[in-house]
Amino acid sequence: MTTESDARDELIDLAADFYDQFAAGSIPEMTLPTRTKSNIEYDEESGVWTYGDRTSTRSANSVRGARKLLKAAYTIEFLANQLDDDRSSTLRELYYLSESWDNDEAQFNSQDESNDLVEDLEIVTGVTREDFHMRPEESGAKVMGPLLLREQTNRGEREIHCQLDVGQGGYQIPNNPDTIEFLDNDAEFVLCVETGGMRDRLVENGFDEAHDALVVHLGGQPARATRRLTKRFRDELDLPVVVFTDGDPWSYRIYGSVAYGSIKSAHLSKYLATPEARFIGIQPEDIVEYDLPSDPLSDSDINALESELEDPRFQTDYWEEQIELQLDIGKKSEQQSLASRGLDFVTDTYLPERLGEMGVI
Amino acid sequence: MTSFQSTIGDEEGIAEELAEGQREISIAEFFEKNKHMLGFDSGARGLVTAVKEAVDNALDATEEAGVLPDIYIEIEEVGDYYRLVIEDNGPGITKEQLPKVFGKLLYGSRFHAREQSRGQQGIGISAAVLYSQLTSGQPAKITSRPKGQSRAQYFELIIDTDTNEPEIQADEETTWDRPHGTRIELEMEANMRARQQLHDYVKHTAVVNPHARLELREPGLDEPMKFERATDELPAETEEIRPHPHGVELGTLIKMLEATESYSVSGFLQEEFTRVGKKTADSVIDNFRDVYYGRELSWSPPRAHDDRDIASAVSEAVANKGAEATTAFAAGVAETVGNNDRITRSELADIVDNVAETVEDDTGKTFGGTVRENAVDAGWRAVTGRGGADEEAAASSGDGGADDPEESPLVPDVYALVDEATSTRKDDAAVQAMAEALARRFENLDGDAFRTTRDDLERRVADAASFVAEQHDATVGETARENVVAAFWSRARTVPDDPPKVKSIAGDRDAAADLLEAMRTTDILAPPTGCLAPITAELVEAGLRKEYDADFYAAATRDAEVHGGDPFIVEAGIAYGGEIPAEASVELLRFANRVPLVYQRGACATTDVIKQIGWRNYGLDQPGGSGMPNGPAVISIHVASTNVPFTSESKDALANVPEIEDEIELAVREAARELESFLSKRRSMQQRREKQDVLGRILPEMADKVSEVTGRPRPDIDGALARIMNNVSVEREVNGEAVTLTVENHSDVNEELEITDIVSAEPTDLSDGTVVDMDGEWFVQWKPEVPSGDERELTYAVDGDPEFEVSVGGVETEKLTVND
Repeated sequence: MTTESDARDELIDLAADFYDQFAAGSIPEMTLPTRTKSNIEYDEESGVWTYGDRTSTRSANSVRGARKLLKAAYTIEFLANQLDDDRSSTLRELYYLSESWDNDEAQFNSQDESNDLVEDLEIVTGVTREDFHMRPEESGAKVMGPLLLREQTNRGEREIHCQLDVGQGGYQIPNNPDTIEFLDNDAEFVLCVETGGMRDRLVENGFDEAHDALVVHLGGQPARATRRLTKRFRDELDLPVVVFTDGDPWSYRIYGSVAYGSIKSAHLSKYLATPEARFIGIQPEDIVEYDLPSDPLSDSDINALESELEDPRFQTDYWEEQIELQLDIGKKSEQQSLASRGLDFVTDTYLPERLGEMGVI
Repeated sequence: MTSFQSTIGDEEGIAEELAEGQREISIAEFFEKNKHMLGFDSGARGLVTAVKEAVDNALDATEEAGVLPDIYIEIEEVGDYYRLVIEDNGPGITKEQLPKVFGKLLYGSRFHAREQSRGQQGIGISAAVLYSQLTSGQPAKITSRPKGQSRAQYFELIIDTDTNEPEIQADEETTWDRPHGTRIELEMEANMRARQQLHDYVKHTAVVNPHARLELREPGLDEPMKFERATDELPAETEEIRPHPHGVELGTLIKMLEATESYSVSGFLQEEFTRVGKKTADSVIDNFRDVYYGRELSWSPPRAHDDRDIASAVSEAVANKGAEATTAFAAGVAETVGNNDRITRSELADIVDNVAETVEDDTGKTFGGTVRENAVDAGWRAVTGRGGADEEAAASSGDGGADDPEESPLVPDVYALVDEATSTRKDDAAVQAMAEALARRFENLDGDAFRTTRDDLERRVADAASFVAEQHDATVGETARENVVAAFWSRARTVPDDPPKVKSIAGDRDAAADLLEAMRTTDILAPPTGCLAPITAELVEAGLRKEYDADFYAAATRDAEVHGGDPFIVEAGIAYGGEIPAEASVELLRFANRVPLVYQRGACATTDVIKQIGWRNYGLDQPGGSGMPNGPAVISIHVASTNVPFTSESKDALANVPEIEDEIELAVREAARELESFLSKRRSMQQRREKQDVLGRILPEMADKVSEVTGRPRPDIDGALARIMNNVSVEREVNGEAVTLTVENHSDVNEELEITDIVSAEPTDLSDGTVVDMDGEWFVQWKPEVPSGDERELTYAVDGDPEFEVSVGGVETEKLTVND
């Protein structure tokens, strides 16, 4: 992607655009793709979903628009200075830092506002926020598996083996996983797991050792770093990727953001999404087949499922069939409901069966 | 039982006796008992009421004389009492008039007149005189100087409380500086606790009488309160009118019937009522016939193929007229009857008369009354199977219906109408059963002519329907029954009988009630409004402008409407902003016939109406969405009528009459719509200013920041600012049917615009521009040139509540603000 000086130049260029608009006597504005579900399109070439052609304009013609652009100008200055000084900060720090700006109008009213603005700047400049040295509050999740890597840390290089050099918790993914270099591995596939409880169960049962799996903990909706690293496992190590979540509509969205990209960061899909990632379960069909303990679907679950049927990312035969089946049986099950068959059922029976079916092992 | 009846019979006598007894109560006692109703229940209120009555009187007197009122009010403390002085510049008063005007309680010609005037009950000023006399023991001191006289006359007047007769105690010449007018001085037990109400009363009187000059002095005022006049226009003179037919009650009607000199109902109606001419009287009488006599049901005459044959029936009924005349008569009757789809017995009698006369002329034979009657009976029998003395013979002969001697010839006719009225849903057997049941009930009508009133018809249809429901298990619903009644009623004919004479209606309560119903159901022009003197919207506004320093004024005068035969006009005005206090709820000014109403605001119909209007729609704050609105506004409501309905004799609050409430609401809403458009315009200007303020601050800061970041000199942002600020605005205002698009050019160049308004209804009265009809949508187009800093108004009128869509070309979109 971009280098740090590129990132700085892109920001300055954006400020220069505003400058030129002023100088030409026109009203400063900034045009962005419309960030809604209806404006994402499938990119044949890369196999991921990115923004379509529709755009929205932030113009200084209105009070709201003018305030946004003023904040953008202040944020550009801050980011450019941060890059000059080779420092980094979190999104939350940016929000608080704005309090110190000399202009009340430029200060952010909420962290959502500053987060959105950083995303806007990413889109307009084509630079990722990691390259602006902005990081999210919570870092990426953890990896456990037969992989040796080298990480560039602030305190120098570290070589780490993700099974032998780490504790029960595994290797902590850094905010910018592009600082990692893969050295060696014995891995057969990557298993992304939604919940911490399930990850701990797999590690305790030695699943990573038994099957040479790289177990990646997603921790709910996965952070960018986790998705980026997963993509690199796939692209650079050529490992198959499977995603293991609860069997409910919210978890399918977690799979969706790993495999297809999320709506909010569709501008980064090519960098973050792993279109080859496949869904292992819990499938609605598993609820029936394994007779898993289940909860009835709530109204919001049903709405979410119906909205997924209309989501372009889920318009495949596989997902339509699974979602229709789930609406039909009206049930959802958690990953850990597999424990109803015993603590080893998931590692001894369910996952090997599913991985076999999918041709991964 | 007997004693009850005798009581009713004696009722009138007892009432008279009671009235006799009441007259024996002294007037002082009467006053004491009723003073709460008269507005004198406390010293504070008594003073306000006395001022009010005297000022009302003074205004009426000056206006009647065609003089612009100049009224002086003074209140002084005199020992334990207060002295009230009211002076006017009216025509003065003679010694003869004096007792009538000031002396006698319940005297006054206005009680019966239908004319708009301030003092409607004739109770006012004399009550004040009596109150002062009863509390202070002092006589009323009256000075009068008729126009053109060099000296004034001074009177002292006292009311004999035993006889209710006024006595003039002093009568002497005096001098007075006014060239003409009346001065009345009353001393009374009072206090100034109602100072606020007094001030309100005088101020509001000034608002609603912009042609009057008023001055008030009272002990609490350092400076006298002076109210100058805002117009030299006197209110239009009013005239008396006769009652309107929609406005009388049964008792009044009977009294009028008894008193009239007219002999016929038509004459009575035209003579005694307003808006009734010959045509209207005829319509009333037709309606009266329908309720009093009922209508005659009409029937289809037999057709060629029927066994019933009018020609042979008629010729059989005629004897000794010779074959030729008989045949010509019978054929003539049969042919004319055959030309009618339906016929009533009265119509048949007319036909027989006409044909008889023709045949008499042609043949020289005489067809006398008996022959004609027999012919009508025979013909009617052929049509309906009934009539005349031969009824039994006809029925038993079996001539008419050999197949089914039971079935009346009416049944197929009734069937046809019932079938038509009940549409398709009913099965045939049910319709047939209903027709038979109904026909039987028509057969039971008295006489041969099938006369029935609408009520009676409804009863018979309902009865037949319940019979059918019981016997045949087929329901005939309410709507179906109504349709059946309407089918028969619309085909029934008003009878030709003369209405009863006035004398007999006067003596017959039921007949009088029928006449009243006929009067009420007839459409009659609203009463003339010459008897009303509205202030006019223009002067309502001028009055508010005079007394309230506000930012905005609006007023509306409605057209005259009628409640109970009394015409009335409602006017409303609104003042907003400026010096009007913003904190509390709005101030409501209530007026009836130009008199401010000061007390009992909560009980007044005007208050109820204001409370139920959703003021948020009009831009005023209204906690909870109902109740009195808040904000810096004054709402004034004036009801002018020949008979303003008050809740009580003290005339403090308007009664809740739905017709009047509706008009109050419409008038207030009309003025409020103007307020709303003023406020929304002000809001949009305010938003525009705020936007300019904020952008004027933000954009230079943004420019500084980008020049800092890029390391270039500060850019010139004037062009961008001008583009944002100096724009062209197009704003729509819809006021009833009138649509106005206001184009304002805030830029520094002339703008040549192309404005297209797409309207869903046909626009008329275009201010130049063109209109094109595109399949039910009208494209109204203007090409105005608007100079820099100028504005243009584009207007047209459109009916109903259409949809609009305006598009503006010829100007860059970022320079355009459309407020559609």
